[in-house]
Amino acid sequence: MNTVLARRPTVPLWFWLGSIFFCFLSVLLSVFLGVADIPPADVIEALSGRGTAQAHSIIVDIRLPRIVTGILAGIHFAIAGLLLQTITRNPLADPSIMGISQGATLSVTLFLLFTVYLQEPGSNTLFALPLEWLPLVGMAGGVIAGGTIYALAFRRDLGPMRITLCGIAVGAVLHALAIGLIAGWGSARIEVLLEWLSGSLYARTWKHALFLSPFTFVGLLALPVFQRPLELLRFDAPVAQSFGLSYQRQFSIGLFLSCVLAASAVGVVGPIVFVGLIVPHLARYFCSRHTALVLPLTLTLGAIVITLGDLAGRLVGQVEEIPIGVVTAICGVPVLIALLRRIS
Amino acid sequence: MLAGAGSLSGNSARSLTMTTAVVVSALMIVATGLLAGARPIAPDALLAALLAPDEKIDSIIVWVLRLPRSLVAYCAGAGLGVSGYLLQSLTRNPLAGPGTTGVTAGAVAPIVYCSVFLPWMSPQFYPIVGMLGGLTAALVTFWIARGGTGRPLHLALGGISVSLFLGALTTAILLASGPQAATLTFWLAGGFQGRSWIQLAFMVPWVIAGLGGALFCQRAVGLLSLSDEVAAGMGLRLTFWKPLLLFAAVLPVAGVAPVAGPVAFVGLVAPHIARLLKPEGPGWTIALSAALGGLMTASADIIARSVAAPQELPVGMVTALVGGPVFIYLVQRPGLAFNRGIGT
Repeated sequence: MNTVLARRPTVPLWFWLGSIFFCFLSVLLSVFLGVADIPPADVIEALSGRGTAQAHSIIVDIRLPRIVTGILAGIHFAIAGLLLQTITRNPLADPSIMGISQGATLSVTLFLLFTVYLQEPGSNTLFALPLEWLPLVGMAGGVIAGGTIYALAFRRDLGPMRITLCGIAVGAVLHALAIGLIAGWGSARIEVLLEWLSGSLYARTWKHALFLSPFTFVGLLALPVFQRPLELLRFDAPVAQSFGLSYQRQFSIGLFLSCVLAASAVGVVGPIVFVGLIVPHLARYFCSRHTALVLPLTLTLGAIVITLGDLAGRLVGQVEEIPIGVVTAICGVPVLIALLRRIS
Repeated sequence: MLAGAGSLSGNSARSLTMTTAVVVSALMIVATGLLAGARPIAPDALLAALLAPDEKIDSIIVWVLRLPRSLVAYCAGAGLGVSGYLLQSLTRNPLAGPGTTGVTAGAVAPIVYCSVFLPWMSPQFYPIVGMLGGLTAALVTFWIARGGTGRPLHLALGGISVSLFLGALTTAILLASGPQAATLTFWLAGGFQGRSWIQLAFMVPWVIAGLGGALFCQRAVGLLSLSDEVAAGMGLRLTFWKPLLLFAAVLPVAGVAPVAGPVAFVGLVAPHIARLLKPEGPGWTIALSAALGGLMTASADIIARSVAAPQELPVGMVTALVGGPVFIYLVQRPGLAFNRGIGT
C-alpha cells in the first residue's frame, strides 16, 4: 500500500486513447441507430450541416443533445458513486441508496410545485419548465440531504454502517414526502413528472446539457486536487490520520462533492438508479491492480454505460421508449445481488 | 403500571389494560375525526346521525364517507403492525418491516401491472397477486441478505435495492399507462380517499388471517425471536415455522396494498412502540402492535383529510413525517451495530 501511495499516479497514454476510442464508438452507435430509420449517408450529411431538414432536426436537435446530456449525467452519477463508496468504505454506496437522489427529488418537486403548478392550477397545457434552475435546485436538495445524513451519523461516529443506515432512513422519508407531494397536488400533467422520476433522457435539449455542464466542470476540476485524500479515506480514521489527513474535513469535502455531482444530475435527468453503484465496481474489476486508473475509467465507463443503456432503451421500446432509469435498474440488479451476497 | 407488575398474571392484566387503552383512544380519535373535515359536523348533529341514520347529508357523510374510511384506516394499520412485528421477530432485525424488506414494493408492482395491462382482471384477485409478489420480494431480499439475521445493514441494503428495482419498474408501467397515471400515483402514495364498506369487507379477512396466524403461532414467534438455535433446541421445526411465519407476515400486506397502497413506516414503527411498553409475552406484543398500528394510521388519515381540506394529502406523507424520525432514531441507537437480539 505504501509504495502505491508514494508513487505519483500516472495514467498511460494508451489508456486515454483507448477510452476516447470506446466513448466515440458508443456515441457513433447512438447517433446512427434509433427509432427513426435514417440511412448512414443522411446522418453524415446532417452532421456536416447539409441534408434534409428532417434528418437535421432528428440528428442535431434530438439525438445529439440527449446523448451529450446522458454522458454528462453518467459521469456525474459514476463519480458520485465512486466518491461515496470510497469515503463510506461501503461497497454498496450509491446516491440513490444513500438518500442524496431523494433529497434532490424532493427539492425539485417542491420547486416545481411553487414556481409552476401553483400558478396555473388544473391547466392542461404543457408548462415551460424553468430549466436553468433545475440543476441548482437539485443540488441544493442533495446537499441538504447529505448534510442531514452527515450530521446524524456524526453524532455517534462516521462508521460505514451508521452513515449508510442514516442515508437509507433519510432517503425513505424524503421519498415518501416527494411521492406525497406529486400525488397530492393532483395535476393533470403528472406524467411529465413521472417520466423525470423514473430517470429519463427523453426530449432533453441542448439547454439541459448547457445548464448541467458547469457542474461537471467544477466537479472534474476538483477531482485531481482531491485524489490523494480520496486514496487515504479508504482507510480507517486513525490510519488515515496517521498519514496526516484531517479526516473529518476531507470526509465532508468528499461527501459534498458527491452530493453536488449526483444531485445536480438528478435535477436534469431524474434519479437514474444503480449507475453510481455499478460503474465503479466495473472499473475496479477491469483495472484490478492499476489503482490509478480506477478514477478515469469510472468516468469513461459512466459515460459509455448511459449512452449504450439509453440506446438499448430506445431500440427495445421503439416508439414507447424504455426510460434509462428502468434499463439501469434491470441491468443493475444481477450485479447488485452478486455484490451483496459476497459481502454478507 | 396499574396492576402489580411483579406477578405473571398481574403483568397480563397490565398488558390487557394497555391494549384496551390504545383501542379505546383510537376509537375516541376516530369519533373526534367524524366531526372534522371539509364539512364540519356539530357534536349533537353527529350523535343524532350516529344513533338514528336518515337520508340527510350529515348522516350520509358519517355513515358512507367518514366512519367506514376511518375503520379501513384502522384495519390497514393493524395489519401492517402485525406484519412488521412478525418480520422483526423472524429476522431478529430491528430495521425489518414491510417497507424495508421489499414486501410492500413486491405487492404493489404486480398490482399496478395488472391494473394497467390486464384490465379484465377483477380487483378481487389483487390480494392474491400482491401476496405472490410480496412473498417473492421478501424471499429475494432474505436470500440476498442470507436469511436477514446477520447485520441489520445487509437486510436494509437488500430491501432497499429490491424496492428501488421494483420502484423503477412501477414508474415505467405508470408511464405506459397514460391517463390512468394520476389515479394510480395517488394510490401509490398511500391513501384512504373514498374507501368505504366494500373495501373494508375486502380487506378484513386478510388482516384477520394475518393477526390470527400470528397469535396462533405466538409460541414459535417467541422462540424464534431468541435465536434459531434456541428455537431448534426447544423442539421447533425451523423449516416449517419460518416459512409459515413469513407467509403470515405477507398476508396482511397483500390485503392492505390493493386498498390503501403502500402506507409507509407504520409496520416498522408500531412494533417498536409496542415493545417500549413492555407487554407480557409475544401474544400481547402482537395485539399491542396491531392496536398501535391502527391508532397510527387512523390518526394519520384524519390529519391527512382535515389539514388542507377540501384538498387531501396522501396518508403516506403523514405517516412518513411521524414514522420517519422514529426510524432515524432506531438507526442512531448505539447497540445497532452489533447483532443484538430484539427480545419481546
